[in-house]
Amino acid sequence: MKNKKNFELWQVAVIGSVGLIVFLTVWEGAVRSGLIDAFFLPPPSAVLKRMIQLSTGTDAVLLRDIRVSAVRVLVGFALSALVGVPAGLLMGISPTMRAFFNPVISIIRPLPALSWIPLSMLWLGIGEEQKYAIVFMGCFASVLVYTTDATMRVDPLLSLAARNLGAKRLQVIRHVILPGALPNILSGLKVVLAIAWTCVISAEMVGANVGLGFRIWTAKEWSDTGQVLVGMISISITVLLLDILFRLVERALLPWQKHGVHR
Amino acid sequence: MTETLIKIQNVSMTFETRKGRVEAVSDFSLDIERGEFVCIVGAAGCGKSTLLNMLAGFVQPTGGSISLDGDIIKSVEPRCGIIFQNYALMPWMTVLDNVSFGPRLKYISKKERHAAARLWIEKVGLKGFEDAYPGELSGGMQQRVALSRALANEPDVLLCDEPFAALDAMTRQLMQEELVRIQRDTGKTVLFITHSIDEALLLSDRVVVMSARPGRVKAVYKNDLPHPRKMEVQISERFLELKREVWDLVQEEVMRSIRERA
Ligand SMILES: Nc1ncnc2c1ncn2[C@@H]1O[C@H](COP(=O)(O)OP(=O)(O)OP(=O)(O)O)[C@@H](O)[C@H]1O
Ligand SMILES: [Mg+2]
Repeated sequence: MKNKKNFELWQVAVIGSVGLIVFLTVWEGAVRSGLIDAFFLPPPSAVLKRMIQLSTGTDAVLLRDIRVSAVRVLVGFALSALVGVPAGLLMGISPTMRAFFNPVISIIRPLPALSWIPLSMLWLGIGEEQKYAIVFMGCFASVLVYTTDATMRVDPLLSLAARNLGAKRLQVIRHVILPGALPNILSGLKVVLAIAWTCVISAEMVGANVGLGFRIWTAKEWSDTGQVLVGMISISITVLLLDILFRLVERALLPWQKHGVHR
Repeated sequence: MTETLIKIQNVSMTFETRKGRVEAVSDFSLDIERGEFVCIVGAAGCGKSTLLNMLAGFVQPTGGSISLDGDIIKSVEPRCGIIFQNYALMPWMTVLDNVSFGPRLKYISKKERHAAARLWIEKVGLKGFEDAYPGELSGGMQQRVALSRALANEPDVLLCDEPFAALDAMTRQLMQEELVRIQRDTGKTVLFITHSIDEALLLSDRVVVMSARPGRVKAVYKNDLPHPRKMEVQISERFLELKREVWDLVQEEVMRSIRERA
């Protein structure tokens, strides 16, 4: 999207920081002035204090929670990509495969990851495998659909051009379809990565004894709203960091795309 | 001494569509000699691209046959390199990788194919842009890349489907001159489709006028304008005379196709 005014990066950063500070100040002020009960919504200063408590000293559980949740997300996400991307490519290339698998995919895809929790707990308990399974079930069909779509969107003229230069069927797939679909596959995966987080947090709230979802849920049992907020903010920060990481990977894989300029 | 390279014999192409049969090309015959530069002009929708697609082997004629150097074209034919109107470069490949793509598909070593590609890149005037991506180049430059990509694959024939139609007038003029120069240097056989009679007269040894759909050969003109065909030639008596003749025929067909569609 094109901004009407084209700000420099540092200007964007400054304006953004001001916005953030205003938001936090209003929040802090609203609680201190008694407008909002600190029990329901602790002020940013209290949240920060709680965050420091939870990440240092003897009960430094926060970093471990973040690590455990992130690993669950990444493993589940990687599994669904590992299966979903090749399957999606196959479906994108072959109309027969598409016709064969489409009905099954359309049944699985609308199911929210939450709806897999009962079955997965019965089958796998509340261990790591169950978390991976939830993420996989929540993500796989989306990866598949995004990849199929990306594959079908590759300009057929490019395939013709490659065949004209002597490319055989497999060479067309390797040299044209794959690289041509990659940008859309990656943007699909970025969306799926966010879905994977939702899956893990939900699964952890229902059955887990470590992880950010679990931390938020137990805090609620103890009416520790500070800790609830710490958990929520940790999710935001982790997701943001992973997103930045993902963008870096994307940039490295797609050097030919002009990044940042158009988006 | 001349030698027939392409033999198009009574070729027809009928498409089955939901609205019925569309006869795009009908009973089209033409022989093209090795090293010849032939331009085809014709009204919009008269089957020019269809003819080119058959020569490239993308589709098979429903009647008649096309042979290249004595072999009937039955499948995709890499000996006929295509230049598309929209360049069709791989956006994720650098200029160097695009140009050496054909040889890469034949598993020619990187060193060898890059060396050959560099020569072609230089020949089309793109030295220094080897590592650029197509998205960073102007339309004219992209079409130069497409041209060198086709040439680096060492085809016998260049098939051009209105390759300069999307370019601005000045770039087009330069590209036309360059194509003639390269064709005369390499002795490649070229079949070139265009809407522009000026372009046809500037480039070709022969101009083929196609009839309105279904396309067949309406007339063939030997283009005896002297080379190089700079400005002076384009305002010479002979040029204008040829242009008038070709234009009269094309106009007739355009009017016919408009009437038939109405
Ligand atoms: N795959 C196809 N299926 C059905 N009809 C087709 C197909 N390809 C071409 N046609 C029809 O055949 C006719 C000739 O098409 P073609 O593209 O060869 O014309 P053209 O001379 O290249 O036109 P233009 O000058 O617009 O490029 C058109 O009426 C077109 O609609
Ligand atoms: Mg056409």
